[in-house]
Amino acid sequence: MGMDERILIVEDDAETAAAVRAEVEALGCSVDHCDTLEAGVAAAISTPYKVIVLDRMLPGGDGVEAMARIRAGGSTALILILSALGRAANRVEGLEKGADDYLPKPFEPDELRARLRALLRRGSMQVLDNDLLAFGDLEIRMKARTVHVKRNHVAVSPKEFELITYFARNAGQVVTRMQLLENVWNLHFDPGTNVVDVHVGRLRRKLEDAGSPAIQTARGEGYIFAPKVVTG
Amino acid sequence: MAARATLRLAALMALAVTLLSLGAMVLQYRLVENRMMEAQRDLLTADLGGFAALYDQRRIIALRQAIDYRAAAATGEEMLLLQDRKGRVLAGTLTEWPKGLAPDGEGFEVDGAVEFDEGGTRWLAVARELPGGFPLLVARSLQPVDDTLLALRRGILGLLAASLAAGGLFGWLSARSVMGRIGRVNDLADRVAEGELDARLPGIRSADEFGLLETHVHSMLDRIQNLNRATHRLSDTIAHELRTPLNRMLQKLSKIEGQEALTSDLKAEMRQAIRMFDSLLDISRAEADQGTGGGLVPVDLSAVALEVWELYEPLAEDKGLVAKARVAPGLKILGDRNLIAQVLSNLIDNAIKYCSAGDTVTLDLSVQGDRAVMRVADTGPGLPEDIKGEAFERFVRAERDRAIKGHGLGLALVRAIAARHGARLVMPETESGFALEIHWPRLQHSE
Repeated sequence: MGMDERILIVEDDAETAAAVRAEVEALGCSVDHCDTLEAGVAAAISTPYKVIVLDRMLPGGDGVEAMARIRAGGSTALILILSALGRAANRVEGLEKGADDYLPKPFEPDELRARLRALLRRGSMQVLDNDLLAFGDLEIRMKARTVHVKRNHVAVSPKEFELITYFARNAGQVVTRMQLLENVWNLHFDPGTNVVDVHVGRLRRKLEDAGSPAIQTARGEGYIFAPKVVTG
Repeated sequence: MAARATLRLAALMALAVTLLSLGAMVLQYRLVENRMMEAQRDLLTADLGGFAALYDQRRIIALRQAIDYRAAAATGEEMLLLQDRKGRVLAGTLTEWPKGLAPDGEGFEVDGAVEFDEGGTRWLAVARELPGGFPLLVARSLQPVDDTLLALRRGILGLLAASLAAGGLFGWLSARSVMGRIGRVNDLADRVAEGELDARLPGIRSADEFGLLETHVHSMLDRIQNLNRATHRLSDTIAHELRTPLNRMLQKLSKIEGQEALTSDLKAEMRQAIRMFDSLLDISRAEADQGTGGGLVPVDLSAVALEVWELYEPLAEDKGLVAKARVAPGLKILGDRNLIAQVLSNLIDNAIKYCSAGDTVTLDLSVQGDRAVMRVADTGPGLPEDIKGEAFERFVRAERDRAIKGHGLGLALVRAIAARHGARLVMPETESGFALEIHWPRLQHSE
């Protein structure tokens, strides 16, 4: 993530825009801001952005409907929809129409940061589809769907395997509960209870029992997968 | 239904017309019968008058000659017989006195004429015994009367049948026409009831009461549709307008430092408020979309059920509950995966929330005819009696459960989402705990 990465914010609420800008700048990226849909689409087409943070109910129209125009204009930016239309149906609609992520308002800054990081990372490392994901003495074999710690097999359920794979793909970054629910369980609503914690807790104990404290709690935000990588 | 009512009305009218004309025809029949009988009686009177005059002049001899003469020129419409006191035939059209007919009186008056059958014909007869023991029979055939009356009866029956047939045909035709036109409106109403609010009747309205009905229905539907649109817009606007200030609060909350516990409590409260808010929007949207097939796609209900179950199972186990699931594989319905998951998540979450260690939570998914029956049951405290009737209403919570976190929208959302899918909710009687069945309309395997 370098300073050369540009992010476009299309948002008509000044305070929200400022909050997003603060997060983006904290990540070390440069920011452009438009407050109408037309200006946003024009900017998205003329400048190669890495990520576009797009509101839905904008002066000039719906951001979701504008995605097709942005794509047609040749933009390869990853699009994060940030919208007050936050029900599951809205989120699924946005994702189905081509958004790369969908964050409902109101959002917590931590959540936005985690999502932006995930998108920036997705843009930079494409070739991760090797059969073997190795983090020091923790090894994940994709085809065999197995997890080994220090050469010892760790028995995981199919869901736990998907969970650890998602963690591995976002290694070193905070992953929020909401992201896990969306990406591992494909559920786009807040169940109210922290069901995800129980699953992460189980997986975490299994890894710890095998000698790998790979999953840690990021206070207030979610979890971070940070296995010790032996360099050399 | 409409056709049946119209048909009944038409049949009734046909019957009434038929009965009236039957009455008229019977009256006419009686008149004709009386007149013809009178005519025969007049002929008989004339015959008797003639014979009486002859008898006055020369008694039996003249009578015998006259009857002989008449018998020779008989047309078959008269019956004449004169006998002597020993029963020998003096003159007449008969060779013997008809059986079953006794002479009565001795004058030539027509009064006391009797009807009798002879040779397959009805006769109007006057039988006398003239002074000196001479039986005399003068009769007129009633055959012409009977022939005419028979023809008349046949005519009446034919007319009656024709009028009934015409009435039936008329009824059927008008019923068919009314059914066609009412049926159009009924079909439209059905489509609208199934959620197709923009359905309208094609073609131009005719300038009659049916056209007027269609016009009224259309303007009613336009109004409903506009209201519905306004409601959708309003909820979207509310979502937007309320979320923006909530969003600002959340942003500012994140800037507070050094009071971790308090800010995280506040964040949780806000999340709860947003959840409540989403549930309300979900309920009203699901209710508005109720019956529309739009947005529903084939969903593997079994798979969704298992996924949500697996999500919650560890939570139940950690709480010391016995969790059991029996899910029949491969059951498909037309649905919205996220809504179905929300229903199940609400139900299982409730079950776990209200049960204590040692209780059992079960999920069953099975086939019952054309329905996929999803049953979530627990052995917890169950619904308190005081809210049993209204547990599916918004914001209804039992006094007992004030201490348990929740907003009273879970079951209302379950009901709205079930209705959105055309599913039926059944609350079976249980010995203890809470159980709810959702009967989803199953998607038949086509591929």
